[in-house]
Amino acid sequence: MNPKKQFTEGLITNNPVLVQQIGMCATMAITTTLFNGVGMGLSVLIILTCCNVVISLIRKIIPGEIRLAIFVVVIATFVTIVDLLLQAYVPALSEALGVFIPLIVVNCIIIGRAEAFCQKMPVGACFLDGIFQGFGYTVVLIIMCVVRELLGAGRFGGGLIDVSNGFRFTLDGTGAGIQIFPESYGASILSLPFGGFLTLGVLIAVMQYALKKSELKKAALAEQAKAEEEKEEDE
Amino acid sequence: MLSSIIEISLGAILINNFIFSQFLGCCPFLGCSNKVDTAFGMGLAVVFVMGLASAICWVINEYILVALGLEFLQTLAFILVIAALVQFVEMFLKKSVPSLYSALGIYLPLITTNCAVLGVVLLNVQNKYNFIESLVYGITGGIGFLLAIVLFASVRERVEFADYPECFHGFAICLVSAALVALAFMGFSGMAIPV
Amino acid sequence: MNKILKLAIVLFLVCAVAAGALGFVNNLTAPIIFAQAQAKTAAAFASVMQADGYEEIEFDKESFPTVDTIHRATNGAGHVVTSTFSGAQGNITLACGVDPDFKCTGISVIEHSETSGLGANAASTAEVGVKFRAQFVGQDESIALSNAGGSIDALTGATITSRSIAGAVAESIRVVKSLG
Repeated sequence: MNPKKQFTEGLITNNPVLVQQIGMCATMAITTTLFNGVGMGLSVLIILTCCNVVISLIRKIIPGEIRLAIFVVVIATFVTIVDLLLQAYVPALSEALGVFIPLIVVNCIIIGRAEAFCQKMPVGACFLDGIFQGFGYTVVLIIMCVVRELLGAGRFGGGLIDVSNGFRFTLDGTGAGIQIFPESYGASILSLPFGGFLTLGVLIAVMQYALKKSELKKAALAEQAKAEEEKEEDE
Repeated sequence: MLSSIIEISLGAILINNFIFSQFLGCCPFLGCSNKVDTAFGMGLAVVFVMGLASAICWVINEYILVALGLEFLQTLAFILVIAALVQFVEMFLKKSVPSLYSALGIYLPLITTNCAVLGVVLLNVQNKYNFIESLVYGITGGIGFLLAIVLFASVRERVEFADYPECFHGFAICLVSAALVALAFMGFSGMAIPV
Repeated sequence: MNKILKLAIVLFLVCAVAAGALGFVNNLTAPIIFAQAQAKTAAAFASVMQADGYEEIEFDKESFPTVDTIHRATNGAGHVVTSTFSGAQGNITLACGVDPDFKCTGISVIEHSETSGLGANAASTAEVGVKFRAQFVGQDESIALSNAGGSIDALTGATITSRSIAGAVAESIRVVKSLG
């Protein structure tokens, strides 16, 4: 178990959306305001963590032939629980996300982690994996929301922040956000489906560029170290 | 009745296309659109399963879940029905229509986690469609998916020869091209539905 | 055969536990969700008409398929019509007040799934939404968008949402007229 490594994996090197490239439907569909993004990200984080723990706990007693069916039942249960709780306590969020909350059931992130990770690992590691992978997912959603909302409507933090009466956080989704430039100057097309595809595409490209660069840098450093070593040996 | 069916069909295929406007089913859409042939196979399988799932889930929802006041089990029941359905369809095709099975075979298991299928079933409930409307929405939603994935596969076959920055390699360039196709589909959103 | 039986029992047990857990959570949340839906409808009614009480009345569902319910205000202020129709993205549920002279007294969006920042402004509590909805007050069944010869200015980038809402308001007035 290596929490630090798991953290980097979840956030960067094995990020669910940008690197594993799964769970993209919701990533593109609901990232129009910061409120939606944070809400969706946290919902997935909670569901993923719960499912990871439960599946890891029962991994030894479930028969292999029907493990997928059982994973699906466990996931659907937690998704419905979160769905009901959101409807009861954060109705604005459940309305904004609509059908995408129940659709977390078929979000490949959760079943993917269950199959690839929780089947073999102890509870502690699975718990951390759920938190870190969920966190990585949330961060991507937040980046998408911030970019699309800012360029599309000139706003930051729609639904989550209200500045009309001093700065405060609105957890019921009513805040209008901070208007950075007039809405009519924004490219409202970024709030439409087109913007979802484009923003995610560019984001993945930036990630690939960064990963490639850091790899090259590492390789260059290793080569340099090697060269220096050889030099020392020569001397 | 007829006008509502036309409205639902046009909406599902063009105006509110499952992929380009509702983002349902993006994973197989991006994963299986390398070649026009595979895209067509996947699309056909989806039309088939979405239609069947809509019909079966409507019956289960209406006569079991709603009748017993168990609406909170919808998500759980639907996903189990879809998973079982996909299994049955696979077994049935293997035995009775082997030619279709060999064409669709490898795509069938993937459909269970296609969110367009669970999505259409949940939307049927949300929109309070009756049996016929649900069935039509399921099938035409699938046709919308088929249209989108085949169109996009042809675009992708061309993109392969394009010259783009290296860091866009893979899904990134796909998403950017998908964005452009979505832009084209936005043209339909102005379409008035004749009632 | 024994093996299949065992698998079936395990799967059944898992499902039973899951259903039990869901039943428990549902019992806790159902009353809250119900109260919230009621409060929301009540708030929508209050924002379109001043009345102290309502009674639900029957209407010709065949001729007005998009209309959900009609409530008559007990103080004679008119009727509140709720209808569900398709907007630009999905269905919109709207409450529309109609006074005894068959003029709209106000509209309120109860549910929608329109594009955030565009069509969703129709339901927004911000200035743009309030202004948009205020235009409907006093309109009769000939209501239309300004680009179609009427006086309703469509929301920026959301002509379809605006047009379908205007259409639903006209339909609401017509259904009240049909009551006689």
